[in-house]
Amino acid sequence: MSETLLEVHDLHLSFRGVKALAGVSFSVAEGDLFAVIGPNGAGKTSLLNVLSGLYRPQQGRVVFMGEDLAGQSPQQRVRKGLGRTFQNLELFRGMTVLDNVKLGAELAVGGYTDLMPKAQIEWKIRHHAEEVLDYLHLSPYRHVPAGALPYGLQKRVEVARALAGRPRLLLLDEPMAGLSLEEKQDLARFLLDARREWGVTLVLVEHDLKAVLELSTGVLVMSYGEVLYQGAPAGVRENPRVAEAYLGRSA
Amino acid sequence: MYRLSQTLTDAFSRRFSRTVREDYRQDEAYASTPQGRFWLAVAIIGVLVLPLLLPQYPLFVTTQIMIAALAGLGLHLLVGGAGQISLGQAAFVGIGAYVSSHLSGDLAPLGILAGGLVAALIGIVLGIPSLRIKGAYLAIATLAFQFLADYVFKRWTAFTGGVAGRSLPAEGTFLGLPLADDRVVYYLGLVFAIPMFFYAKRLLSTRAGRAWFAVRDNDLSAQLSGVDLVRSKLTAFALSAFYGGIAGGILMHLIGAVTPENFVLAFSIQYLAIVIVGGAGTVLGAVLGALFIVLIPEILSVMAGAFGPQYVAQLSAWRSVAFGVLILLFLILEPRGLVGLWGRIRDYFRTWPLPY
Repeated sequence: MSETLLEVHDLHLSFRGVKALAGVSFSVAEGDLFAVIGPNGAGKTSLLNVLSGLYRPQQGRVVFMGEDLAGQSPQQRVRKGLGRTFQNLELFRGMTVLDNVKLGAELAVGGYTDLMPKAQIEWKIRHHAEEVLDYLHLSPYRHVPAGALPYGLQKRVEVARALAGRPRLLLLDEPMAGLSLEEKQDLARFLLDARREWGVTLVLVEHDLKAVLELSTGVLVMSYGEVLYQGAPAGVRENPRVAEAYLGRSA
Repeated sequence: MYRLSQTLTDAFSRRFSRTVREDYRQDEAYASTPQGRFWLAVAIIGVLVLPLLLPQYPLFVTTQIMIAALAGLGLHLLVGGAGQISLGQAAFVGIGAYVSSHLSGDLAPLGILAGGLVAALIGIVLGIPSLRIKGAYLAIATLAFQFLADYVFKRWTAFTGGVAGRSLPAEGTFLGLPLADDRVVYYLGLVFAIPMFFYAKRLLSTRAGRAWFAVRDNDLSAQLSGVDLVRSKLTAFALSAFYGGIAGGILMHLIGAVTPENFVLAFSIQYLAIVIVGGAGTVLGAVLGALFIVLIPEILSVMAGAFGPQYVAQLSAWRSVAFGVLILLFLILEPRGLVGLWGRIRDYFRTWPLPY
């Protein structure tokens, strides 16, 4: 049995009476590809925002690698190995692809006092960034401003930036939304490879049910801030509460 | 045959083209190709021998360009780098000038350095509001600072000499050389300017630069990439003020006096114009912008003088209008600034005889 990497206990989050999360608990083991699915407004993105420290939950605990994350800023969490990508692209549009990835690579290679440039470390960062670019087939675009690339590539750059930091756990918010079938397949392949080769544990929020059921090792189904189902992907289709939330009562 | 043609092409590109780099180190060097190194050397030697070739007034203008480029470069780190708009750069130039006016003579370089450091400290204080407010609101906060500084320059008579300002003794010397000689001031300024230009270029292409650009483009995402927002914004403000302060110290030695009207809002806007006309994103932009902003009025007044002395008074009013129109045209026709224009010219000649 592999070690538990992330544990979430009884999270509650509400915005002025609107309950985004109502008692969500789950745990992710090292090496998992854990998927979070649910209808629109189920609280999936809110959950990720709580995990990465952008929202403060009213109640509940997040334990990452045996350490309670309460009160830690987003930067601190990222430096501990909790990477994140966004649903709407949050790239640095004016920076080149290479610089985007280098910024992520600093987390893995280690920084230095920023007013004293150190060439040795810079070359190490460059080397590391090039490795990731090569891995995600982005090398030809390294000097292109990220904002000038087509949508599918921008998504890939965002994944590259997050992967370059060598996170222990990567939170992916709908990485496949808006991609064509081939792009989806490519991205899925990259993610699976990253998981196998670099030991990155993935938490994936996704609408594409087919992709989720094929890829994941564990699934969490949410609706209106509550957990409907947690367990193996095979059991999702049989669960009556999930069918009700997705298809309505009459189904 | 194919192998031969490939070898020849490779050898040709390595020797003559700017595009082939063999490793990442070359890609990140200041000048990555033989031509690049050649032109860099020519530029530095040119800058060093310039005072021996130029008569007095053109040298005065050249030194002004150097000062404007330094102050503009500082603002460029802040505006083009970290994306924080500031209308207070002239105030930092003023702080540098007043502080260095108290340490002249043999201590002149120390005085200039002290001016830069004091400006940097005040820059950090001005940076604090930027942690809470952005964009136009921040511009208004820096505008308030500009007016406050102007008030202090005029009223704190003990330190600044009030409205009349302070003037250096005309017979002041630096290591036996007369400071009233513009050539001495030019070289004194160059001692600061050359390392500071290389330093800025290095910073923009390494960790600090990436953090600034990240803050400029998307501060939420910057936070989640491990960038310390407070630190990057404050270092950008401090450095920008430091560059302004150093420029002020050199300006004080060039004029030989320091008076409040050199540090009013109009100059802050002029420094911002240098950044915008030069084109955000590179160090070269600050130099080209300063060249444009300082030289165009000079050229226009020479043209006005060429019509005959009786027109000079009339035409000087039109000079400002022409200057404004030129800047406007520039912003509309070439939004990437002089650097963009330069890039287009270079790209044209890169493939020159056979563009396809």
